[in-house]
Amino acid sequence: MGVMTVRRWAMLAMAVVAVVACGGSESGGNTTGSTITLGAPLGLTGSLTKESTLTQQGYNLWLDWINARGGIVVNGVKHPVKIKYYDDTSSANQSAVLMQKLITEDKANFLLGPYGSAATATDAAIAEQNQIPMVEANGAAQSIFNQGYKYTFGVLSPANKYLQGVIDMAATLNPKPTTIAMLSADDNFSLEVANAINTYAPTKGMNVVLFKKYKNGATNLAAEVQAAKAVNPDIVLNSGHLTEAIAINKAAKEQKLNAKIFAYSVGPSTPDFITALGADANFVYDGSQWTPQVKYTPAFYLTVAQYVAAYKAKYPSLGDPDYHVAESTAACLALERAIENAGSLDPKKVRDALAALDVTVFFGQIKFDSRGINIYKPMVVEQIQSGVHHTVFPADVADAQPMYPTPAWDQR
Amino acid sequence: MIVRGDSDRRWRRIFLILGIVVAAYALLAPLTSLDAAQSAGVPLLADRLWFRIATFIAMFVVMATAWNIIGGITGYAAFGNVAFFGIGAYTTGMLIAKARWPFLVALPVAPIIATAFATLIGLPLLRLRGHYFAVASLGVGVAVGELVQNVEYHGQPIFGGASGLFLPIYSIDNRGLFFFYLMVLAAGISIAVTWWVLRSRFGYGLIAIRENEEAAAVLGVNTTAYKVAAFALAAALTGMAGGIFSQWNVFINQDNAFPIEYNVQMILMALLGGTGTVFGPAAGAVLLQLLIQFLGGSLPISADIPFVSDAARPIVAQVILGVLLVVVVIFVPRGVIDFFGGRTRLSLAYLRRSLRETSL
Repeated sequence: MGVMTVRRWAMLAMAVVAVVACGGSESGGNTTGSTITLGAPLGLTGSLTKESTLTQQGYNLWLDWINARGGIVVNGVKHPVKIKYYDDTSSANQSAVLMQKLITEDKANFLLGPYGSAATATDAAIAEQNQIPMVEANGAAQSIFNQGYKYTFGVLSPANKYLQGVIDMAATLNPKPTTIAMLSADDNFSLEVANAINTYAPTKGMNVVLFKKYKNGATNLAAEVQAAKAVNPDIVLNSGHLTEAIAINKAAKEQKLNAKIFAYSVGPSTPDFITALGADANFVYDGSQWTPQVKYTPAFYLTVAQYVAAYKAKYPSLGDPDYHVAESTAACLALERAIENAGSLDPKKVRDALAALDVTVFFGQIKFDSRGINIYKPMVVEQIQSGVHHTVFPADVADAQPMYPTPAWDQR
Repeated sequence: MIVRGDSDRRWRRIFLILGIVVAAYALLAPLTSLDAAQSAGVPLLADRLWFRIATFIAMFVVMATAWNIIGGITGYAAFGNVAFFGIGAYTTGMLIAKARWPFLVALPVAPIIATAFATLIGLPLLRLRGHYFAVASLGVGVAVGELVQNVEYHGQPIFGGASGLFLPIYSIDNRGLFFFYLMVLAAGISIAVTWWVLRSRFGYGLIAIRENEEAAAVLGVNTTAYKVAAFALAAALTGMAGGIFSQWNVFINQDNAFPIEYNVQMILMALLGGTGTVFGPAAGAVLLQLLIQFLGGSLPISADIPFVSDAARPIVAQVILGVLLVVVVIFVPRGVIDFFGGRTRLSLAYLRRSLRETSL
């Protein structure tokens, strides 16, 4: 060990310090501020575990991304972000207690929504009474937004939009379909979806010639399909659930109900639908909040392809991200951009920034009407083509053309 | 008989004083949140989280105390009392949300409708005994919730259907404080009613029915009228709690107005505290609800449960509640109020005697 070695070490050390310092200033050039705490009660156990876990995945995807960048920039200061989760055991009452705990004890700056319309409704009232903004992604019931609440914002399209995309698409097709048979389950969400079509279709030159309600969860829908066949409709719509959509499709084949369009609100977007029906699943349409094929030009955050890749990197065994995941991430993005626009962590200023927000991300346009719900993002229409989901409408986000009209059952 | 010694009397006095101190603190602490107290520099002893939890506790005091009238004093194991809670909640909720009645006018209607309903179903139901009554009452509890969600008129749900019922947020200063004291008032009324029942001819009739219904009938007690009256009284008190809940929580649906787990919780609370007593169910409600909130991680003070991860906590909480139910029923059948009340003392001998009594 000589003097030279010591000096070399000292030089090296100085160089390292200099690089670190430069690196620090290069990647941000600004100081680190206080941590922003977001709060979310989720049903991590209990009946809503599956959907709540997807919601949490969506939140966490954004959390990793924002903290890798140093946090949310507020007036040139980077604020790291923390999300505090509590398990509400899928109980709306417990969700409300925990929401209050997040506000009072954990001093959450802002709130992210729970899963489900019931918990969202209860928590919206808590957010309102405490005047803390809550951005939610998993409560589509319009009733939540008809209460005049000022602090709750939903990034997802409301229930009445679910099948409107199919009508919009049908209006662009040639020959144009004009008659609709609607088979709807009798639960509130399905009826909200179905009733919206009753009023919407005439504005596009189409008429609902048959509106039939059946018991939620029915497995035999032969009679309903028979009634539909009797009116010989161009479009068969179903507002219901996976098992009912499968039952209708099977009965339609058996009874040779040939329509130009078969579209079901919920069901065809899941892999189970294709598994259950095989080739008979082809040509079927559905409405979805988001699909991994959509093409939106994001103003910030990831593109759709990058998002799907990021999800698969973090959760390698789970396949493509579900729309629950995407809309939850979108809620975080809305909040992030609103905080940046507000240039403040003040809840009232961020609320006003949310109300004024208009930004497009991988999930689509996020903009809230006066009630706080995002009526501006269209629902996309998917079609199963040769056993694969393709997004076919709106044209500017689609990856395939609709295969129209649907061929008759004996010509497939 | 157990001879009551001096030391027992001293213990009893200590517990009494302790209870009064805790109750006084719980009732006075919220006042520190008032603007006047805050500007005077009084330390804040109760915030909005405290109010929410404390209001829940008071709500369960009402429900457990009300259940005690039919389940503890009369001896009819009603497993469907949550129906009265839901009916109360929906009565007040509908009057406020649809008919735009003021809350304080709509609230008294809740116990009236709940009473009417209890009288109506009590007449056929209370002819059943033992398990038959328990199962039938459980069925009623579930059925009413389903009806409320599914009844329609011209295709429109009458009671808000699956999407529930929204009430306007009650505009009053210190809202948390207001609902806390309102629920405490309801709890006070429930306890006072129980106190009166146990000292009235009516109450003696109910106890006679519990001990031996045939003998009571022979003695001239109109058992049907007495049982239905007890059932209706329990319904009125439970319905009142439901009515307060609806405006306090702002949003009601089948899940939160007819939660089936409340049926079990209110019974467990009454058993834990001591059935048939005045203060037992209330004590049980406070203890058990604090335990539920503690295990659920919503209390400001929380401790890690050894060997249990945060993710598994809610599941473990359910297991602990289940084990507690078994232990209480076997070892402490007369409730904790029994040995704090001075008649007996918690000892190994007590547990052995209980085990003997509850074994076949």
